[in-house]
Amino acid sequence: MQENFLARWLNNELSQEELSKFKETNEYLTYKKIVDFSSKLEAPTYNTEEALDQSKINRNAKIIRLNPIRKKLQIAAVVLVLITGSYFFINSLDKNVITGYAENKTLTLPDSSIVTLNSVSEITFNKNNWDTNRNLTLEGEAFFKVAKGKKFTVNTSQGIATVLGTQFNVENRTGFFEVTCYEGSVSVYFNGETTILPAGNSFLAIDNEVIITDISGVNDTQTPSWLLNESSFKSIPLKYVLNEFERQFDTKIETKNINTSILFTGTISNKNKEIALKSICAPYQINYKIEKNKVLLYLENQTK
Amino acid sequence: MDTKENNVCNEQVYNMLFNSNSKTIFNYIYYKYGNEEKAYDTVQEAFIKLWENCTKVTPEKAKAYVYTIANNLYLNIIKAEKVRLKYASKSLAISNESPEFLLEEKQFHEKLENALNALPENQRTTFLLNRIDSKKYAEIAIIEGVSIKAIEKRMHLALKTLREKIDGI
Repeated sequence: MQENFLARWLNNELSQEELSKFKETNEYLTYKKIVDFSSKLEAPTYNTEEALDQSKINRNAKIIRLNPIRKKLQIAAVVLVLITGSYFFINSLDKNVITGYAENKTLTLPDSSIVTLNSVSEITFNKNNWDTNRNLTLEGEAFFKVAKGKKFTVNTSQGIATVLGTQFNVENRTGFFEVTCYEGSVSVYFNGETTILPAGNSFLAIDNEVIITDISGVNDTQTPSWLLNESSFKSIPLKYVLNEFERQFDTKIETKNINTSILFTGTISNKNKEIALKSICAPYQINYKIEKNKVLLYLENQTK
Repeated sequence: MDTKENNVCNEQVYNMLFNSNSKTIFNYIYYKYGNEEKAYDTVQEAFIKLWENCTKVTPEKAKAYVYTIANNLYLNIIKAEKVRLKYASKSLAISNESPEFLLEEKQFHEKLENALNALPENQRTTFLLNRIDSKKYAEIAIIEGVSIKAIEKRMHLALKTLREKIDGI
């Protein structure tokens, strides 16, 4: 076959002889069909008038590119940047965990240390550089089970407890600061002084007066009593006991003619309000009256 | 002739050029890449370029000019998508052929479309400009910026490949 034979055939440039010869071949029919069929094909609709109008708008407005896909990509890129940006921003912020009245929460820190928060407490820490900087801030009370590693510091408004890996409890309430060590040892920084607290001891500061006590008598277990839904006290002024009661039961306590600085030793339930009240009141022969979310404590002989 | 009247900056000349060439450019880019949006944008862009340079480009050269721009705009940038071509409905509407025949036609259309998509971009573009837009080889040569001989070659190869593909060789 001659060069570009098919192109010449389509252009009617073949000689009579060439054409009749071509028509006898097997392929001719398909070729004919392709050519006939393809001339009936249609390109996508295109409106010249509209395009011309658009062209004049573009011409004057000097909008160089009309590219919806690119525009979508640009929007997508901006959104992506914002999302990743805010992700890293939020991640770099301090993480905050809060518990309310009658609520406990357990959380695992990035190094798998475990923190259990008692009622009405709050801890704040930074997740991002936790491995290099194990530093957190505590408001309220929490029990720590610290994984071995770098220095672990609990900052509170009153004092600082530092450990290397142990189990300890920190309570930081108004006028009341207590660190109890259950395992290993804890260094407590309070009022410009550092105290090393060995296991089984408790560092207690009530109104800036420091008492270090051996807690093994009060509590045989390796964990603070509140983890077992009880609150244990050893020679603690009654007002702190009542405060703890308020937090555990979300109940207001009012006292009448009662000296709240008398010392209390004992354990109260954090589950049953009646039993807890009885354990507080019985030793002092205090009477109590329960109203909705309020409890009134009074001395028998003085009312009436 | 007055050169001013015959300038591309003249609204009428511009309209004329747009009306006679924009559809072919649209189709041309569509055959190449199978993307309608890109084809439409190319038309717009090519004519804006023409307008911006209307004092420098004579009406005689304007046609080749817009094709060159259209050609360069998306060169090597986008990968070809599938070219979807409608089978002219007019040919079916007037036919009172048997269902078998219509089915055969439909199947042939599918085969042809697949074969067209498989063609090299320059062969497909040349073939479709000739078949759908009824462009002469000489005209396609101007559009593509190659010799008429080259267009004939493409045409020949396109037909040959299409037939082989359709007959299943």
